[in-house]
Amino acid sequence: MGKPKIGIYGLTGCAGDQLNIINCEDELLKLFDIFEIKSFVMASSAKDEEIELDVAFVEGSVSTEKDLEHLQEIRKKSKILVAIGHCAVYGGVQSMFMGNEEWMERYKRVYGKESAVTLTPPLEPKPLAAYVKVDAVLPGCPIEKEPFLKLAGKLAHGVVPRVPDYPVCAECKWKENECLLLKGEICLGPLTNSGCGAICPSMNIGCIGCWGPIAKENMKSEAMLLMEKGFDMDEVAKRFAIFGGVERAEALKSLVSSSTKESGK
Amino acid sequence: MRVFKLKRENFIPFMKGLSKFGELWGPVRKGDRYVYANEPPEKFVLNAIRTIVPAKKFFLPQKSTILKFKNNEWREHYDVKKRVIFGLHPCDIHALNIYHKFYTRLYPDPYYLKNRENTLIVGLSCLPDENCFCHLTDTETVNEGFDLFLTDLGDKFLVWVGSPKGDESLKLVKDLIEDTTQKDIDEYVEWRKKRRSMFKVSLDLEGMPEILTFNYDSPIWEQMGTACLSCGTCTMVCPSCTCFDVDDEFDIRTDEMNRQRYWYSCVFREYSMVAGGHNFREARSERLKLWYTHKLVGFMSEYGSPACVGCGRCVVSCPVDINVITVAKALLKEKPDAFWARMASSNVEVQHA
Amino acid sequence: MLKANAPKCNIRGNVVVEENPYLPERARIVRKFDLTRDVRFFQVRICDPDKVMTWTTNYKPGQFMMVSLPNAGEAPFSITSTPSRPGLFEFCIRKVGRLTSKLFELKENDYIWLRGPFGNGFPVEMMYGKDLLFVAGGLGAAPLRSVLLYALDYRDRFGKIFYLYGARTPDDMLFREEFFRMKERDDFECYLTVDADPTGLWPFDIGVVTSLFKYVNVDADNTVAIVCGPPVMYKYVVDEFLKIGIPDDHIFMTLERKMKCGIGKCGQCVVEHKYTCVDGPVFTLWDVKNIRTLI
Repeated sequence: MGKPKIGIYGLTGCAGDQLNIINCEDELLKLFDIFEIKSFVMASSAKDEEIELDVAFVEGSVSTEKDLEHLQEIRKKSKILVAIGHCAVYGGVQSMFMGNEEWMERYKRVYGKESAVTLTPPLEPKPLAAYVKVDAVLPGCPIEKEPFLKLAGKLAHGVVPRVPDYPVCAECKWKENECLLLKGEICLGPLTNSGCGAICPSMNIGCIGCWGPIAKENMKSEAMLLMEKGFDMDEVAKRFAIFGGVERAEALKSLVSSSTKESGK
Repeated sequence: MRVFKLKRENFIPFMKGLSKFGELWGPVRKGDRYVYANEPPEKFVLNAIRTIVPAKKFFLPQKSTILKFKNNEWREHYDVKKRVIFGLHPCDIHALNIYHKFYTRLYPDPYYLKNRENTLIVGLSCLPDENCFCHLTDTETVNEGFDLFLTDLGDKFLVWVGSPKGDESLKLVKDLIEDTTQKDIDEYVEWRKKRRSMFKVSLDLEGMPEILTFNYDSPIWEQMGTACLSCGTCTMVCPSCTCFDVDDEFDIRTDEMNRQRYWYSCVFREYSMVAGGHNFREARSERLKLWYTHKLVGFMSEYGSPACVGCGRCVVSCPVDINVITVAKALLKEKPDAFWARMASSNVEVQHA
Repeated sequence: MLKANAPKCNIRGNVVVEENPYLPERARIVRKFDLTRDVRFFQVRICDPDKVMTWTTNYKPGQFMMVSLPNAGEAPFSITSTPSRPGLFEFCIRKVGRLTSKLFELKENDYIWLRGPFGNGFPVEMMYGKDLLFVAGGLGAAPLRSVLLYALDYRDRFGKIFYLYGARTPDDMLFREEFFRMKERDDFECYLTVDADPTGLWPFDIGVVTSLFKYVNVDADNTVAIVCGPPVMYKYVVDEFLKIGIPDDHIFMTLERKMKCGIGKCGQCVVEHKYTCVDGPVFTLWDVKNIRTLI
């Protein structure tokens, strides 16, 4: 098998994920050794956009018409498309009000009149999977070096990696940490994808959920638990929303409305 | 069993003497709890109660490489150190005995055995806190599974010798130990009485196998499933939980493939999910039910005793209070003081500003 | 239930390990071809010539092997060949996940890695002198082919043999041509059916597999019944067995679970206190009644 051809692309986001790939300083040469990098705008001027790719890494959310076009082009020429970083996987912080009718209102408030930004028509920010088939994901805000290298190790053999089905708590216990929830702090560990190595809880900081919501999360239980510990619903809902992305936004609405109902009793 | 006496002032030299066997590990403080750490014996906390993670981490590490692959060949990979592990309480040693039975049956696990061979287990007596219930699981004393066991009688320790390896290790500290006297034995008997009177938990755990069997379709599983966060903490901290998962990691730095195994949990979503997506235990309640029936009923059928040793780790670790005590109470129709039960009866105060 | 051997001990009574049960053995793909749209047949041979014969004769029909590719993972597959025809292992592999997708990319002479064989397998000795009734559905034909071929290779040790096999369409039938030829044999009865026949060319029965029971004529008390197929099928087939009057402990089924170790350690195949990989994958109807959530 020849070297897999890869491309690394960015849509709307802070480009932090691409930056963290460049930050793999000691391993960069090794990465170039394993992969044939065909496009990496941030790191290299060499661009070969015509060629078919084995793997495309895409960061950022789809937030403009141009993003969408770009994404569709990448999808067309890539065998495996990997969403990297929270924006690409879940929609990013910018999607936390997803589905909210007032999106255009907010947009105008930030950018003034609708026509103020004229380069490309804006879209409500969404993750890649809202538009194209995504084969693998690497969450994180931003992605971390070690998980990225592990992912690269899988892709080097053409194996499509999967996200672990367990939350941050598992890795947190491997590291023998005390449970911050039990100490009365807001920690989103139980709702969040693992892979980061439970960095924050290991420093006694509650998980903020930057690896995105785990599949089939039990948000209701965690919300009620936090409320029993004295936090109010608004604060809890805000925490949940920050890295909740598109997936959680909808569930959060019904959670907030049901808790409002219950408090009315 | 051979028993010796160790004066308290000789404890540190005793541990230092044993450390000639291997790295010295013992319970040290971490926040409000304890962990086994490789520290000098001066740092060991002699009245430590239940470490966050049990001693199983020495025998089945949280994450370890079991095989390496290079040039089309898989090779075994061992990362074994000689260790002295101090401070295991009777419940911890009972749990290790369960581990031993489990990991040596049918196809013995070479990694477990290598780690076990290279470990000197030095037990330590303890006094129970309000969450200990080893008196209900018949694990408050221990007769086998340790090399040495220290009973803390204040100004002295009794040193029980539990294995040929333990006997051998005493040669490293032979100047520090002395024979026991009748007075020591009397004090020990008194100490046992005192210890026995300190247990707070009272519950019919012995009846659990039947009660669990009869309550297989009880609504409490659904209630617990509603509250369970599927975080896996219960299984990570349980000293008799043995499950693991395996994955290959290709290290691009060394061009080596590592087959790794790491702690896994039956409460995780994909635990019973086969390729193609069919999940034999889709519901959280089903997965919880498996944990409790396996631990309290299933083990009974296989090994003659349940797999719970009453260490109380689940009691102090589950954020939503799903643990052996609250589950047993609920099955016995005593109303448990637990978040999951409160959540089920919707008594949780929900405030929305 | 059948168990694997007890561990070996040294003079001190300590358990010793002779072979690391986690260590895979390299094998070579000898032949492969598609059985259906998504199921491929693999014939493999252990690379180490000293191990070929011991490995391929010392297993029971119904056992499985852990098949792996570095980096893609490891999964259990039932052996579809029989120890009565040693030299090669055969597997039917359906493309469903990460590992199987990679397996489908392999060509002849490529390496795969095997561990095993594991599991209890069918108690073939106990079946001597008995009538055998096989019922397979879809991919369930893979493990049943092993025990069927075994019985045919030692034909004189068994009574009457019935083999009922149902697939969704003619295209979904594994070993279709092999079974067509078997239908011509007069030393056992082979009945095939399909749920639907879009081709219009299917010459045999059309309908669910239970509709084939009308052909069955066995001595119920002296019959061993074996079923393997998709989970939904078991209940209906077992009902038919019971109608005939076959005792619970003569009804065998082989079940699928997630397995990571194959040796009763990782826990992921556990059902109550039974580890499917060592206590199964072959269970009797009594086990199914006794162990909840088995099927």
